[in-house]
Amino acid sequence: MNWKLYKNELIVVVSLILMLFALLYKNNQISLHSQDMLNTKYTVKEFRELVALQKIWADKKVSKKVNKLEKIVPGSKVKWSKKGKKLTAIYKNLSPKELNKLITNILSMAVQIQELKIKRNNSSYDVEFKCKW
Amino acid sequence: MSFLVNNKVLLLVYSGMKEQSLSDSVNIMLTPQFYILKKEKLPIKYLYQAKRIAPSLFDGLLEDVQKYDYLVYKEKEEWIFIAYDLEAISNFLLSKGIKPEQVSKIFFAQQASSSFTAPVLLGEKDALVSLDNTVVMIPQIALKENNDIVTFNDSFTPKGGVTPEGIHGSILSKRQTIGLAAFFMLFAMMFFVEGWRYTHDSQATQEEMQMLLEEYPSLKSQYTRESIAAKYKTIDQNERRKREVVKTLAGMIFKGVKVGSFNLNEKAFTVDFICSDAKVAKRLVQLAKKSEFNSAKVVTDNTVHIEEKL
Repeated sequence: MNWKLYKNELIVVVSLILMLFALLYKNNQISLHSQDMLNTKYTVKEFRELVALQKIWADKKVSKKVNKLEKIVPGSKVKWSKKGKKLTAIYKNLSPKELNKLITNILSMAVQIQELKIKRNNSSYDVEFKCKW
Repeated sequence: MSFLVNNKVLLLVYSGMKEQSLSDSVNIMLTPQFYILKKEKLPIKYLYQAKRIAPSLFDGLLEDVQKYDYLVYKEKEEWIFIAYDLEAISNFLLSKGIKPEQVSKIFFAQQASSSFTAPVLLGEKDALVSLDNTVVMIPQIALKENNDIVTFNDSFTPKGGVTPEGIHGSILSKRQTIGLAAFFMLFAMMFFVEGWRYTHDSQATQEEMQMLLEEYPSLKSQYTRESIAAKYKTIDQNERRKREVVKTLAGMIFKGVKVGSFNLNEKAFTVDFICSDAKVAKRLVQLAKKSEFNSAKVVTDNTVHIEEKL
């Protein structure tokens, strides 16, 4: 049999076989790695989420950052009590501007708000704030 | 290196030849009876350009230009164009007992014009001679009596010939072959790349995981991870909710509305808004309900009271 005469068919058959091999290779790789990869990806995602949460809610610098709340208004208006990882702050006669500044700062801090009380007193405000971290 | 040398028998094919009985494949050389020759001096540099214009050169000479194939090559300053009908050649060869698959290569007498130093006899009537570098058939009676005669043999085999694709009933043409092979190869490449990507992605994710484990060894244990997640996710969720409530309530303060009191703890919140008149109070209640604080209601002295669980 003179294979030269069937060169065209041979080329097509060889390329077809190559394509089928490539398809088998791809499917094999998918079945080998896809489940593993999904599990690993999920764990990596979970890991990253945990690390991010820890960074926010177990930040060791929070204790220092909280001190800012004492100096945000004149000292005469604050009664400050910080024990360990707990804070109780009582603010008296705050102007609306001071109140806004205080609340904005409280909300931006990674502390667990236990209590936040605001009471209007004529044109000023009294605030009681309890938190832990 | 004998396998590189084309050492097949060269058979001269002419219309009056005897029937053949071949045991091995052969090369054949066709006489001018089977092709049409044109020599042209053209301002063309490349072979592909010459091949492209070949059919147009035979316009008017051939009945159906599409039916023909062309062999083109350059000889000194001239381009040689040979038009041949592969199907007719194949039919003729079959009639002489030569199966198409027994033909290894096809050559044309013109290609070996330099080898025709003297006439070659074809049967009893005709002869092949080279006149002005063109191989032609003439009757033997036109030869001079003392003319030398050369015997046709394998030394007439020229360099380039035609591989007889298609004359043995090949299903695929050259163009179809290229198209199909390119199609399959393209898909093969795509599958290989995709497969490789899966392996690579998987390795990259594993490496990332390894890096994280090295950076945070305390999180290696699944149990530790679950307990940390449970603790911080609850804190995160609750604290985000508290901050969201305060921001939403702050957004509800407009002209004529003031905060009377606000009380937020771990579980719930209450707020009293002092409104300038009943119209403002009503609008505030609507706004609160839009923000899903459905407990909002007007109590005494245009005060809007909201009390919700977190």
